Amino acid sequence: MTVPAAALTLRFFQRDLRNRFAGSFSGGLWALLQPLIQLAVYAFVFVHIFKARVPGADAPGYIPFLVTALWPWTAFSEALLRSTTAIQDNAALIGKVALPREVLVLSSVCTSFAVHVTGFIAIVVILALTRNDVWLPGLAAALPLYVPLFALALGLALLFAAVQVFVRDLVQVLTQLLPLLMFGAPVFYDRASLSENLRPWFDLNPFTFYAESFRAVLLGHGTFDFGRLAVALLVAGAALLLGHWVFRRLDPHFEDFL
Amino acid sequence: MNAPLIEARGLGKSYPKVHRNADRLRALGRLLLRGSDPDRVAVLRDVDLSVRRGESLGLIGANGAGKSTLLKLVTGVLTPTTGRVQVNGTIGALLELGAGFHPEYSGRDNVVMAAALHGLSGAELQARLPEIIAFADIGAYIDEPVKHYSSGMVVRLGFAVIAALKPDLLVTDEVLAVGDESFQKKCIRWMQDYLDGGGTLILVSHSMYHVQKLCRHALWLRDGAVAEYGDVFDVTQAYLAWHERKSAPAAEPAAARGEGEFGMLGLALNGEDGERGVVLEGGATLRVHARVRSRDGRVPSVVIGLVRADGTPVYGVGTDMDGCAPVRVAADEYACELQFDDLALLPGNYLVRAHPLDPEGLRLFDTLERGVAVRGASREFGLVRLAHRWNPLAEEAPTP
Repeated sequence: MTVPAAALTLRFFQRDLRNRFAGSFSGGLWALLQPLIQLAVYAFVFVHIFKARVPGADAPGYIPFLVTALWPWTAFSEALLRSTTAIQDNAALIGKVALPREVLVLSSVCTSFAVHVTGFIAIVVILALTRNDVWLPGLAAALPLYVPLFALALGLALLFAAVQVFVRDLVQVLTQLLPLLMFGAPVFYDRASLSENLRPWFDLNPFTFYAESFRAVLLGHGTFDFGRLAVALLVAGAALLLGHWVFRRLDPHFEDFL
Repeated sequence: MNAPLIEARGLGKSYPKVHRNADRLRALGRLLLRGSDPDRVAVLRDVDLSVRRGESLGLIGANGAGKSTLLKLVTGVLTPTTGRVQVNGTIGALLELGAGFHPEYSGRDNVVMAAALHGLSGAELQARLPEIIAFADIGAYIDEPVKHYSSGMVVRLGFAVIAALKPDLLVTDEVLAVGDESFQKKCIRWMQDYLDGGGTLILVSHSMYHVQKLCRHALWLRDGAVAEYGDVFDVTQAYLAWHERKSAPAAEPAAARGEGEFGMLGLALNGEDGERGVVLEGGATLRVHARVRSRDGRVPSVVIGLVRADGTPVYGVGTDMDGCAPVRVAADEYACELQFDDLALLPGNYLVRAHPLDPEGLRLFDTLERGVAVRGASREFGLVRLAHRWNPLAEEAPTP
């Protein structure tokens, strides 16, 4: 990526970020406040109403169990949903100004990850300070996990953003499919609590690795498998290559179909 | 510098035919699998273009001829369907009013974004931001959202960004006409400095005066293809003549040709017979040789006239007016020749028309016409150059 393209990404990223918090009284503080409120809601609903528990003798509390997988998922799914329309939303710009269009997708993915990784750090720190089942140094291992997750999101986002220009229904379909992917990954529950013959199928879901690995490094729940890390890296790399190829191929035709 | 600033070969753009939603899906499949989609409508075909540094180009053509599409291909906003365009330098484009400005953001934010879009780094921008804001000169509005701007203020801001970037190539159309008097003066002064400093301009304009004043070459686009490309005066004249012909009333059918007592047999200009017109330099000599058939052996009179391509008469004269008569050259054939020395026509396209009349000069029988193109570089107005001189006047000493 060239220097002007990087500078341009930064500008779009800043504009995106400012957009999100523009008009709210709390401004940038909202970025931290929002995950805390969300956390309180989950605590109330799952712990006090549903009495949800993670099975097992030395299992962590349900809230840390949920939070460590749900926040990465939110970053991932929101990045996909928002950046799928990144090209379409900037149609006015694309017909009038010459710019590398990947920048629009990249900055959109960056914004979602920036907002939710910040929230994730805040929550993990708060949980580590208030409870003893979250292992704070695990954060040093957890944050690098966002790198392949980001690459996977960016690859899929490039693919979806390019196809969305031609097939406008994609984003609607995606809105319906993403919850399916979430419930098909061990985010709200533990894989160990399912029947034996169902468990292997979860490995087909690319998010399963991330949900379980975040828990492994932060909560010591389950084991971190380097073999599965290698597979996840390969999948992320392949998604990035595919997304980039499709985007490059369709890029010259965007203006014709917008 | 010898390398052309812009080099385009076989440039073409076509748009997909998208009528139904299924067409979009089919196009997507074709583009992914084969990399091309055959179902398209061409809006621009086969444009070759070469612009060197300092040699500005005027782009002219009727509405919908593909001028904007060509500009967008050159600036890289659109991707060509066929051919390629190579640009060896930076481009600043002032095309549509406020293109690339986001109405919700302040002028300052938009300047920052526009500068980033033009490849300016953060440090460079910080250095030039005060200069841009000073040039735009819109006061406290710089921190208001652009949606509250008047169109003049939007143009000021857009021009200020371009002025600070000093691109190698400036692409613009008539948006500058929106600014007020003082800002227009500022723009023209900047433009003059820019051109004097070796800047290059691609100007889209419907004002031939501006095109001739600012550009050395011109390209005339007609229905998406190059109609003419070359010296600015030749191309603008051809373009104006085309407009004149288009608006001229359709010539009345020569129903009487060959039927009446008298008919035109031939009209030769400077010895050239045939359908094609002749091309002259300004001030050249024009000989008009007319041959007329006379059925009953009476001597006809002949009127020869010059009209502009749209039919506006310039000058006409008949043999009977000057007291001369066509001479008999064959059994039923008479001929005459009219010569204009030092033809005073200004550059442009004209027609020579010849009509046979009865010997009394009362009834007109036939019409034959040939085109005449007068070439040359002149910015005078009108049809003919009238004899004139500027009188020297004594300068009055300023009163102390």
